[in-house]
Amino acid sequence: MKQFLSFILKEARHILRDKRTMLILFGMPLAMMLILGFAVTNDVKNVRTVVVTTHHDHLSTAAINRLAASDYFTIVAKASSPADAERIIRSQKADMAIVFASDFASKHTGLQFIVDGCDPNMAQQWTNFATGVILNPHGGIVNSKMLFNPQMRSAYNFVPAIMGMLLMLICAMMTSISIVREKERGTMEVLLVSPVKPLMVIIAKSIPYLALALLILIVILLMSRFVLMVPLAGSIFWIMVVSLIYILLALSLGLMISNIAQTQLVALLASAMLLLMPVIMLSGMLFPIESMPRILQWVAAIMPPRYYIDAMRKLMIMGVGIADVLKEVTILSAMTMLFLTVPLKKFNVRLE
Amino acid sequence: MNAIEIHHVSKRYGDVAALKDVSFAVPRGEVFGLIGPDGAGKTTLFRILCTLLKPDSGTAQVDGYDTVTEMESIRRCVGYMPGRFSLYQDLTVEENLQFFATLFGTTIEAGYDSIRAIYSQIERFKDRKAGALSGGMKQKLALSCALVHSPSVLLLDEPTTGVDPVSRKELWDMLGTLRERGLTIIASTPYLDEVRRCERVAFLDHGEIRGIGTPDRILTDFADIFNPPGLSRHTIQHAQKEENVIEVEHLVKAFGTFHAVDDISFTVKRGEIFGFLGANGAGKTTAMHMLTGLNQPTSGKGRVAGYDIATEYEQIKRHIGYMSQRFSLYEDLTIRENIRLFAGIYGMKDADIKSKTDEVLEQLHFRDHKDDLVGSLPLGWKQKLAFTVSIFHEPEVVFLDEPTGGVDPATRRQFWELISEATKRGITVFVTTHYMDEAEYCDRISIMVDGKISAIGTPTELKARYRMADMDSVFTHLARQANRAAD
Amino acid sequence: MTLRFLLQKEFLQIRRNAFLPRLIVLFPIMIMCVIPWVMNMEVKNIIVEVVDNDRTPRSQQLVHAIEASNYFRFHGQKNTYDEALQCIQRGNSDVIMVIPRGYSRKIATGEVPEILVAANAVNGTKGSMGSAYLTQIITSHVQPDFAALQQRVSTLLLYNKHQNYKRYMIPALLALVMMLMTGFLPTLNIVSEKEAGTIEQMNVTPVSKWTFILAKLIPYWIIAFFVATVCIVLAWLLYDVRSTGSLVWVYVLSMLLALFISSFGLTISNYSDTMQQAIFVMWFFIVCMLLLSGLFTPTRSMPDWAYLTTYINPMHYFIDGVRTVFLREGGWHDIAHQVAALALLGSSMSTWVVISYKKNN
Repeated sequence: MKQFLSFILKEARHILRDKRTMLILFGMPLAMMLILGFAVTNDVKNVRTVVVTTHHDHLSTAAINRLAASDYFTIVAKASSPADAERIIRSQKADMAIVFASDFASKHTGLQFIVDGCDPNMAQQWTNFATGVILNPHGGIVNSKMLFNPQMRSAYNFVPAIMGMLLMLICAMMTSISIVREKERGTMEVLLVSPVKPLMVIIAKSIPYLALALLILIVILLMSRFVLMVPLAGSIFWIMVVSLIYILLALSLGLMISNIAQTQLVALLASAMLLLMPVIMLSGMLFPIESMPRILQWVAAIMPPRYYIDAMRKLMIMGVGIADVLKEVTILSAMTMLFLTVPLKKFNVRLE
Repeated sequence: MNAIEIHHVSKRYGDVAALKDVSFAVPRGEVFGLIGPDGAGKTTLFRILCTLLKPDSGTAQVDGYDTVTEMESIRRCVGYMPGRFSLYQDLTVEENLQFFATLFGTTIEAGYDSIRAIYSQIERFKDRKAGALSGGMKQKLALSCALVHSPSVLLLDEPTTGVDPVSRKELWDMLGTLRERGLTIIASTPYLDEVRRCERVAFLDHGEIRGIGTPDRILTDFADIFNPPGLSRHTIQHAQKEENVIEVEHLVKAFGTFHAVDDISFTVKRGEIFGFLGANGAGKTTAMHMLTGLNQPTSGKGRVAGYDIATEYEQIKRHIGYMSQRFSLYEDLTIRENIRLFAGIYGMKDADIKSKTDEVLEQLHFRDHKDDLVGSLPLGWKQKLAFTVSIFHEPEVVFLDEPTGGVDPATRRQFWELISEATKRGITVFVTTHYMDEAEYCDRISIMVDGKISAIGTPTELKARYRMADMDSVFTHLARQANRAAD
Repeated sequence: MTLRFLLQKEFLQIRRNAFLPRLIVLFPIMIMCVIPWVMNMEVKNIIVEVVDNDRTPRSQQLVHAIEASNYFRFHGQKNTYDEALQCIQRGNSDVIMVIPRGYSRKIATGEVPEILVAANAVNGTKGSMGSAYLTQIITSHVQPDFAALQQRVSTLLLYNKHQNYKRYMIPALLALVMMLMTGFLPTLNIVSEKEAGTIEQMNVTPVSKWTFILAKLIPYWIIAFFVATVCIVLAWLLYDVRSTGSLVWVYVLSMLLALFISSFGLTISNYSDTMQQAIFVMWFFIVCMLLLSGLFTPTRSMPDWAYLTTYINPMHYFIDGVRTVFLREGGWHDIAHQVAALALLGSSMSTWVVISYKKNN
C-alpha cells in the first residue's frame, strides 16, 4: 500500500512540475467552454442587409423598420436597384439584399431576396428569418415549442461534446505519453526489475490522471452551470457515474496505445489520429451523424465518445432518468470492459 | 554455491545474433567483470539476468532462481542499474531515492548503511532536481537507487561512464565493502583500472565469450585489444608556436549566487594539446561553453583565435571545431551526408568537400560504410567520425568534451592517433577527459577544482610538483580538496 | 550558400523518416476522401412523431404530406403527447407534432386550429430547422393563401447556386489540412533536435540564425504547396468542385498561411523543452484559431469580444479569402485585404522565430 501511495505521489509530482502542460490542461477547458459556449454559434445575427426600395409606402417602411429593429439584421445600405444591391454583395459589403417591388404594398407581392449563397444552411436560415420578419404572419397556426433549450443556445449542445473531447484528451493522450516516456527514458526497466506487480504500475500510473480528469470534469460542470448558464437538469450522481465509466474507458484506450507505442512521438500521433480526430469528426459534436453516408455512420457507431456525448446530452440537458440512457451506458460499460482487459492482459512484464 | 549460472544462452534480434551460446558461473560474493567492445552483447546479457528479456535458448539462474519461470523471486533480490540514466529528471534527488526505496519495500533510513558511501556525497543536493545534476552525480544517484534495498546480486551496466577518476575510485571502494558483506556484483566497464579490481572477468566479443579468468590473464591474453602499447610521447609531433590561440583572464560564470566558473585565467599556445581536467561538476563544460560562444561570460575576458568571447562569438565559431559530450551528429543521415552537411556549413566548396571526404574515409577505413546511417554505427566509430567532422574544415582550435567516454581501450588509442594527426597539421586541441592515461598525452594540463584552476603545467611538472608517480594520483590528490560537487 | 546544405539535410531527414513521407502523402488524401462527407451540416432525416387527436381524413392528409417530405422520417403515430415525449427522451425521435381534436372542423369553419410542434432543441440548429420545415408544410396545408404568398417571394442565390454544402466546406478543409501539416510537423522538429542534442552542435557552427530557421521553414512550404495541390485536384476529381476564381490566388493565400503557421510552430518549439509541451501548446492555439475563424460558423454571429480576435486570426483571413476565390469568383481586388493581413501576420511571426531562437545564452 505504501508503495502504491508513493507511486501515485511520484506521478502527481510529474504532472504538477510541468507548469506549462498544467496551464494548458486547465486553460484548454476554460477557453473551449468560452469559445464554444459563446462565440461559435449558428445564430442568425447581424446579417448585413441591403434594402432596395423604389417607392416608399407605409408597408415597406414598416417592414424595413421591423428589420432594423431586429437583432437578426443590420441594414448597411439602401440601394436603388437590384443590380446595385448585387454589386454590394459581390464586393462583400453585405450578405443579403431585400428588394421591395413598387407594388409591394398593394398586392403583398414582389418581394425578392438576393442572398450570398456560399453557406447553404445560413442562406436558407436568413431567408426564413427575413420572410418571417417582413411578412409578419399572423401567428397561431403552429405553436412551436423548443424543448429543453427554449432560447436555442448552442452551449447546450456543445458542453457535453467538450466533456467528451477533453476527458479523452487528458486520459488517453496523457496516460499513454507518460507511460511511453518511462520506456523512452529507461526508467521502465528499473520499474520492471523491481518486485512491484506490473498491474500496480499501471493502476498507479492511471490514478493521478483519473483524479485530474475528475477535477477538470468538475471545472467544466461548474463553468457550464454558472458561466454559460446551462442548467444541470439531471441527477449529478448519474452524471458523475457515467463520466467515471467514460474516464475509465479513455484510460484503457491510453494504456492500449502505450502498449503499442515505443516513442512519445508515436504515442502522441496515435492518440491524435486514432482518438482525437474521430472524436471531433464522428461523434456528432460538430456535424450531425444522421447526415453522413451509411458507411461513416457505421464507423461512428463504434466511437465511444459518441455514446458518452449522447448520454450526457440526455442526462444534463434533457434531464431524463438513468433508465432512458440505459442503452448508452450499457454500450460504454461493455466497451470499457473490453478495452480494459486487453492492456491488462497484454502488459509486457519484460522488454519485448 | 553459485550466485549466477548461465547455460548455453543465445539471443537474437531479427538477423543479428546478440549472444551465441554463452555459459559461465559466478560464485556468491564475487566481483565479476564483463568486458568487451561496444555491441558485444553485454547489455543483452544483463537484461536476461534481470528477467527483462527471455533467452531464445539456454537457461540462466540468479540466486538459484530461474530467470524465466521464477521471475518474481529474482526481481526481489536483484539490484540493477541500466546503462542510461534511469532517473526521473523532474524529481529531486531525495524524491528519486525515496521512490525507489518504497518501490522495493524499504526506506532511505533503513537502507542508508548500504548507500552511505555514495549518497553522502550528493546528500547536500537532495533538493535539487535530478535533471539538473552533472553526469557523474546522476550516476551516483542511480547507483544509490539500485543499492537502497540491499540486494544480494548487483548488476551494473557501465556504472562509471562519464564519472571522474576520484568518484570512480570511491565507487569501487564501496563495491569492495559490499562484497565483504556477501553481495555478488557483476559490472561491465571500459576502464582498465576497474577491470583490475574484479576477481574474475569475462571477455565478451560479438556475442561470444572469448575468455574468462583473472583480470591479469585476460588483459595479457588479449593485450592487443585491452592494453595497446601507449602512444609514445614523441610520436606526437608538435608544430607548437609561441603564439597564444586562447587567452582567458579572470573568467567568471555565475548562475544566481552559484559561481560555476570562478575566476579562471590561462593561455593555450597554437598547436598545443591542452588537457582541461576536473571532477564532475567542477565547471569544465560551462567554461568550454563560454569559449565556444554557447554561453555568455558573467565577467572577465577571453579571446579565442583572436576574437573576443563576449562580443565576437559568431566570428569564433568560424574558426573552431567542437565535439560535445553527447554524440551530436545526425543519426538519420549517412556518414557522407553528415560530413557534407557540416563541411557545407563552414562554407567549403563542393569539389573540396568531395575530394577531402574520400581522403578522410580512406584514412578512417570507413570507405565501405560511407552510405551507412550514422545511427547504426558502433559507439567507437561514431566518436571517431564526430572528431573527424569537427576538424574537417581545418579549424584553428578544436574543443573536445569527453570525447572517449565509454569507449574501449583499443578504440581510444586509435582516437588519440587521430588527435596526434590533427596537431601535426597545426590544429590546437582543447580536450577534457576522465582517463588519466590520456592526460599524459597532453602537452599541458590544467586541473579544475570547484570552478577554479588549482594546478596548471606539463604532466611532468605536475608530477614533480606534487611528488607523485602518475597523473592519476595528482588528480586524486587535488580533486579530494573539493568542497562542492555540482554544476 | 550554406542554406543549400541545410536544406539538403532537412529533406534527407524527412525522407529517411519511416513515417513522415507517408503521412504527408496519405493524410491529405484521407482527409479529402472522408471529411467532406462528414462535414455536412445539412439537416436531413429528422424523425417526427405524430399525435393525431383528430383522426379525420383531413388530418391524415397532413400526416401524409409530412411522410412524403424528404426532410422527415415518419416514426409512426403515438396516442398521447407523453408517449411521444418519451421517444424524444430516449433519443429515438426529434420532433413531435400534435394535431388537436376538431382540427378539420375548425378549418372547415374558417377558424385557425392550433397545432403544436415540439422540437428537441438541445441541438439548436436541428431543432429550429426541423420545426421551421414542419411549420412550412403545416402552413401550406392549413392556410393555402399564406403559402401562396410565401411562394411569390423569390430568392436569388448568388454563388453556390446548387446549394452544395461540400462546395462551401472544401476550401475550409484546405485550411484544416494546411494547418495540421505545416503546424505540427515543424513544432516537433526543433524540439526533437533539442532532445537529440544536435542543436548544440549547430549552435557552435557559424550558421546564421536566419539561415538555420529558413532551412527549417522552406521544406514545410514545399510540403504546403504539395498538400494544397493534392486538395485542389482531389476536390475536382471526387466532388467536381472547382475554384471559380484564379487558382493563383488560392496558392498565394495557402503559402502565406503556411508561412504563418510554420513559423508559429517553430516559435513554440523554441520555447518548449519537451515534445509533449510543444504539442499541447500548439494544439491549444490551433483549436482556438480554427473555432474562431469562421470555418464552421459565421464570424458575425459572434459576440464582440470574440469578433475582435478575428482581426489577428490568420485563419480567419485565409478562410475568408479562399472562400471568396473558390466560390465568389474573387480576384485580386476582393482579397487584397486578406492577402495583406496574412503577409503582415506571417512576416511578423517569422521574425519572432528568429528572435526567439537563441544561439548564445
